[in-house]
Amino acid sequence: MQNTDCTFICEQFTEYQENSLSSEIRAQVDSHLASCSSCLEIFQKLTGVIETLHKLPTLKASSSFNSTLLSRINTLNQETVWQKIYHSSYSRVAGYAIAAGLIFAIGINILIDPIAPMKSGTQSNFAGDKINPNQPTESLAAISDSSANHPVDSLTLQNSTITSQNQSMQLVSGKK
Amino acid sequence: MSEKPLKTDEQLIAEFQNGNENAFVELVDRYKDRLVNFVYRFLHDMTDAEDMVQETFLKVYKNKHAYREIAKFSTWIYTIAGNLARSELRKRKRRKTYTMSALSFDDNEFTPVDPGKDTEGIVFNSYAGEEIMKAIYALPEPFKTIIILRDIQELSYEDISTILDIPMGTVKSRVNRARLKLQETLSYLKE
Repeated sequence: MQNTDCTFICEQFTEYQENSLSSEIRAQVDSHLASCSSCLEIFQKLTGVIETLHKLPTLKASSSFNSTLLSRINTLNQETVWQKIYHSSYSRVAGYAIAAGLIFAIGINILIDPIAPMKSGTQSNFAGDKINPNQPTESLAAISDSSANHPVDSLTLQNSTITSQNQSMQLVSGKK
Repeated sequence: MSEKPLKTDEQLIAEFQNGNENAFVELVDRYKDRLVNFVYRFLHDMTDAEDMVQETFLKVYKNKHAYREIAKFSTWIYTIAGNLARSELRKRKRRKTYTMSALSFDDNEFTPVDPGKDTEGIVFNSYAGEEIMKAIYALPEPFKTIIILRDIQELSYEDISTILDIPMGTVKSRVNRARLKLQETLSYLKE
């Protein structure tokens, strides 16, 4: 068991080895080591450990270290560019412009093509609308009937309906 | 013909901050081995150590403007690498996938590094070296860090004080206690 004196001496070992103790304390350590075999043993082992630590082999990064890092940086840069675009004021302005454009396009489409709202079964409110509101229902029934008998024809007809509602109306009317 | 004087780390990081990416590459070449050496002593796994060092450089790359020339570049990069390594160690402990330090010494199994496994320069033939590595890994975290910084990386007390953000006197006493602890551990291992 170490006494207080031994504890104090052990606390000085690092600075003792590095010659950074005051001459007074250094003399104290010298004198203690000369008379205390357990502290001397600790000191000698400690010196051996430090020497071995300093001799540990130096590790090196692998030869692919730089190329791997470069590719990670490139990925990071790409992410950063997209993040910049996402967060930039230009992107917000562009977003608003696209949204406004879409709203405008939909509005124009509705003005030019007033039949569009009728597809969902609602009646057109346009004064110039002369189409019989019952006609689409009949037309759809006709498409249904024809699809049962002639699947290929019906597909063509349905595609036409999707592509252009005006056209579908004409096609259905023609069939009728 | 006289050689061009080497630029200091601080000059290189300043150039990198001004957009010169070659300066960054130069810093990578200067520090990659030192940092791998440093982080490996924490993690005891070469692949993880390299990955962590890459993370360190990525952080430097991303946060280049965070560096101010009030501290040495080396202390800054060691702080980043040390924090990442310690954080990885904590994660490992939580996951309990690598519990060497939590086990008793009798249960500890030191895995020697395969010299052919992409680890140029690693040859742990020395029994003492192997035992020391095992003992360092088993040290409590503050002692481990201080031993690695002082006795393996051979940094000055001043640099360690900056990296760990503790007074110089604390660094010195902690180095002493860590060495004694290491010596004690090794004595136990030899018995």
